[in-house]
Amino acid sequence: MIFRAVEDTDLIRQASRGSVESYNLLVSRWEKRVYNYLLRITGNREDALDLAQDVFLKAYQNLRKLDDPGRFAPWIYRIAHNEAYSLFRKRKPEVDADGVEPRATDTGINVGGSSVFPIELSLAVASALERLSPDQREAVVLKIYQGFKFEEMAEILSCPVSTVKSRLYTALELLKAELAPISPRGVS
Amino acid sequence: MSCSPFDLRDYYLKELTDPQQRQVEAHVKVCSACREEMERLRLTQAALFSLRDEEIPQRIAFVSDPVFEPSRAQRWWAAFWGSSGRLGFAGAAMLSAVLLFSALTRTAGTSSSGALSPADIDRHIQRAVAASEVRQTLMTKQLVHGLVERLDREHSMRLVAENDAEYAQKQAYLAERKNGDYVTPASN
Repeated sequence: MIFRAVEDTDLIRQASRGSVESYNLLVSRWEKRVYNYLLRITGNREDALDLAQDVFLKAYQNLRKLDDPGRFAPWIYRIAHNEAYSLFRKRKPEVDADGVEPRATDTGINVGGSSVFPIELSLAVASALERLSPDQREAVVLKIYQGFKFEEMAEILSCPVSTVKSRLYTALELLKAELAPISPRGVS
Repeated sequence: MSCSPFDLRDYYLKELTDPQQRQVEAHVKVCSACREEMERLRLTQAALFSLRDEEIPQRIAFVSDPVFEPSRAQRWWAAFWGSSGRLGFAGAAMLSAVLLFSALTRTAGTSSSGALSPADIDRHIQRAVAASEVRQTLMTKQLVHGLVERLDREHSMRLVAENDAEYAQKQAYLAERKNGDYVTPASN
């Protein structure tokens, strides 16, 4: 059993009143998740770390604007999404952010830096994710790896639930075809 | 194309209501095609989970970052009181207070009669000594009064305790006598 003495909502209230210690505790609970989300959509450790720092800084500066502390998760991921796409636009100003795709390597996904997936991890999965569009990949990351509901994903991505579902299900069909193809006798 | 009453992907991703979930479960039990589809979804998700979350390479913390101070004025104030200038400021303030007090008292004395004569000094000393004696007498009275009260209280408590003990002894004696097992010292 995990005993958590202070809830996130309490920490958010204290932090919004200026308690840096409370905010640090909150950051320590969320930094790994946010970092991994950023890592999977940017494909670069350095970018993910820099962005994570920016995200938590921006979040602290705007914490008073968060009306419902219970909605902290979608709120912080929304900031992370915006920061990541802002970086994409800065890197490739002449290309639409949707057109920025990670570059494939032998060891996994890579965007202008070191490879993010260690070689021992599934190359098939890395390759399949790499073939998705950034929007589809982000939908998979938010749903499968981060466990958000469709409504929360729509809030984070600032688009309708129908768009979220469309992106995710297209991605799932592509991933299924690569990772769980139909065998002659049924399931492979 | 699935023949399930609801989208199997919605079911698998836990986006259906409880009654809807139950309907899909009942359907999957009797439909081999949908069972196969469910198995493919499970395999796909299992493959995706082969990519593990990474630890963040550097913890994020903002404890000493001045940007967290609420305003520039408060930041300056906090920085000032947290610095070595604090001691210097306190010393300077005390020195200023002493100088001011000295200047004011000197002005008051010189404005009426110039420098104090030996007789004036004696009178001041006698007045100060008399005031001090009055204070000492009052303090002594208070101390003696407090001591007497405390002794009275302790004495009363001791009497009550002795009375209680005597009463308990009598009660025990009466109880033993009533039971008939009391043996007088003379019978020994």
